[in-house]
Amino acid sequence: MTMPFDTLTAASDEALLVLYANGDPVAARALADRLVPRLLRFATRMLNDATEAEDVAQEAMLRLWRIAPEWRTGEAKVSTWIWRVVANLCTDRLRKRRTVALDAGPEPEDGAPSALAGLIESDRAAALEAALTALPDRQRQAVVLRHLEGLTNPEIAEIMQIGVEAVESLTARGKRALSAMLAGRKAELGYDAEDGG
Amino acid sequence: MTQAHDDLDDLFGAVAQRAPLPSDVLMARVMADAVAHQPGLVAVKRVPRAGLWDVILAALGGRGALAGLATATLAGVWIGFAQPLPVAALGLDLTGEVVQLFPDDESFFQNGTGVDGLFGTAEE
Repeated sequence: MTMPFDTLTAASDEALLVLYANGDPVAARALADRLVPRLLRFATRMLNDATEAEDVAQEAMLRLWRIAPEWRTGEAKVSTWIWRVVANLCTDRLRKRRTVALDAGPEPEDGAPSALAGLIESDRAAALEAALTALPDRQRQAVVLRHLEGLTNPEIAEIMQIGVEAVESLTARGKRALSAMLAGRKAELGYDAEDGG
Repeated sequence: MTQAHDDLDDLFGAVAQRAPLPSDVLMARVMADAVAHQPGLVAVKRVPRAGLWDVILAALGGRGALAGLATATLAGVWIGFAQPLPVAALGLDLTGEVVQLFPDDESFFQNGTGVDGLFGTAEE
């Protein structure tokens, strides 16, 4: 039996996964449309590499397809499970990068003054993206999930398999570090240099 | 510091707007994986419809009961075919006597009203 696509868009992740496991040909598309954009965003923020981020998103979805027949309903949320898979895949790739090139610094690629010449919003956003890449992995993970993906602290705690207080600490330290990194570039980014900070 | 954090929160919003969207190629790859790993449709098992003989068999109590009935039927046919002697004749063959428990009216009135009259024996 194939359910109409409109009906599927209202179904929960878990319901879609069960439908997929039962052979519904449309459920996979609905689930992919819902999850892939978010996974890709997260992986891109973590890896700062579009190609690698795509590979991670695909790999995470592949693992989801594979586990679908054995998925035990009611035990874990699909979204939490797959966020964790992406987080782990990103961590693995970041570790490999360090092993391959120990001297590869976390300096932003677009740190050249020319890239920040215009005092427009997109430049400031680009500066923040660049600053994010300089954060330690765990801080970056927590900050991205909290402030860019809008997850709650308990959700992040479950994904990162740490306590809620540890998440709060990571995000607070991450934000402080980002503020410090951006503070020195306020004039370049179009903020009033005399702002408190 | 508060100003800096406000700025930062604004910037998070701006960064979130710049989110990369999955390309058609990526979605095609993901869907190809989905198709390749999708378990087959779970076939619904059709329960076979009960036939006339199944209904009769069930009404009789199953195969065991049917075997008993068949045996009884064959025994009945055999008894009818062999015509065994009446039970009374069988008793006579064995003892040579006929015990008359309920004498007929004639014997009752001719032999008096005593116990001897009621239960007389007849020599064959």
